[in-house]
Amino acid sequence: MSSDEIGMIIDEVIKGPDGKPLLLPLLYKIQEKFGYISKNTAHEIAKKTKIPFSTIYGVITFYDMLYTEPKGKHIIRICNSPSCYLNNLVTLIKFLELLLNIKSGQTTKDKKISLEIVSCLGCCDKSPAMMINDQVYGNLNEHKIKKIISRLR
Amino acid sequence: MKILRKTRFNGLRKAMQMSPEEIKEKIKKSELKGRGGSNFPTGEKIEMTMSREGVKKYIICNADEGEPGTFKDRFILKKNPLNVIEGMLIAARAINSEEGYIYLRGQYSYLKPNIEKAIQAAKKAMKKINITFNFHIIIGGGAYVCGDETAIIESIEGKRGNPRIKPPFPSRKGLFAMPTLVDNVETLANLPLIFTDKNWNDNWRLFCISGDVRKPGVYELPLGIPLKKAIQMARPKNKIKAIYFGCYGGCIPYDENLILDCEPIRKKGAMLASSLILVDETRNILDISAIISKFFEFESCGQCTPCREGNIRVLELLQKISLGKAKRKDLKLLEELCGVIGDTSLCGLGQSSVNHIMKEFKYFKNEFQEKLK
Ligand code: SF4
Ligand code: FES
Repeated sequence: MSSDEIGMIIDEVIKGPDGKPLLLPLLYKIQEKFGYISKNTAHEIAKKTKIPFSTIYGVITFYDMLYTEPKGKHIIRICNSPSCYLNNLVTLIKFLELLLNIKSGQTTKDKKISLEIVSCLGCCDKSPAMMINDQVYGNLNEHKIKKIISRLR
Repeated sequence: MKILRKTRFNGLRKAMQMSPEEIKEKIKKSELKGRGGSNFPTGEKIEMTMSREGVKKYIICNADEGEPGTFKDRFILKKNPLNVIEGMLIAARAINSEEGYIYLRGQYSYLKPNIEKAIQAAKKAMKKINITFNFHIIIGGGAYVCGDETAIIESIEGKRGNPRIKPPFPSRKGLFAMPTLVDNVETLANLPLIFTDKNWNDNWRLFCISGDVRKPGVYELPLGIPLKKAIQMARPKNKIKAIYFGCYGGCIPYDENLILDCEPIRKKGAMLASSLILVDETRNILDISAIISKFFEFESCGQCTPCREGNIRVLELLQKISLGKAKRKDLKLLEELCGVIGDTSLCGLGQSSVNHIMKEFKYFKNEFQEKLK
């Protein structure tokens, strides 16, 4: 990505009292546009904002929803917390892995779908639940998952 | 539900006719307590934030609801975001703040348009009442630890969400080193109601019931009712064996005669939380224990050793027990380890991460012992 584009995004983002952009919104904006934030991009941001590279990279790697590597076009996050666990989650994770032919943490070969096992999504009233990008799918069963995935492909 | 009643800025209008001191007193008198898990009196927190005068102050709405089994803040933000915004403005009037952040957990980013709409409506009302306040929404990065009030501040400032050592408390030195009031969504949503509803009282709480039930959901219930009544509303699938109060609050065996209130649950060694995860008799406590420890191992921010390394070892030991490979001395080791993690971790996450195991030992130890070699 070009350094001009990064500069434009920096201009748009809300600044703290020291005049520097707040990192979370900045990094999200960059990720929105380019899918992930590479080391080079992080260096570029550091140069432009005068925020140390180590801070920027430290932040990206701290937060699960920011990525240093390219991800699939769709990111499936399936919940692995107690309420979903009590609602047949383990079987469903295995089913998803089989269906997508990847393990959790991986991306399909066609780069369409990434699968992540995550903590509670706050949808325990619809357990077992998963999110695809920013949409929630609840009360899952194998049949439902199959239908949802076929629509993604 | 009481919490969904729309106050339409009437609470704010009333507050505008009062001095900051009077607003604070009214909130103190109401006995409203923080609904983010701390149960700390909100009025006192406001008072503490008022004490440093003549400096810029911030308000943070903590919408980083991450405790497993909890979804009440999502419910409020979806159905009544306006009251949350109004609550921020009332608190702002009390502490004399003109800028605030709503820290929305990354997994709830779909609620952002709803909140933005509420902010737009608030701006119109503010113009009429002639007040200024700047709202910002920050989307979190998906880290449970950012529910901690100092971690949330670090996160907004653009750092890793590592909790700070307290003191100083945010009320003196918070966001950008300025006095900051951090309040949870449900707490803020109650503020306008305190000003508009004469009969408001702190007893009514939102509970999220989930797990082995047919009707999981958000239930608004008064403290002091029989626990049995609450649980029956959610229609258990089988006989209930244990109740987990989220992941941090520990667990108790289900007892029909128990009262739904902080004190009776505390007497049993657990902490009443908004989240009631019901576990029935078909379940093995060890499995639940492992899932919860996995959660903490994953969510530990890594800043301090007992929590970061300790929870890895805890998980290993639990798996060893599950597989039937553990001996009596492993059980002892686990118990000791939990003691150390609970006593020496820096923040609430680490300290509470072993709560559940201590209570499982207290009430369901036989399920661990049965598995020993
Ligand atoms: S107790 Fe755990 S979450 Fe808290 S600061 Fe230490 S490592 Fe981080
Ligand atoms: S436990 Fe799965 S969404 Fe909460």
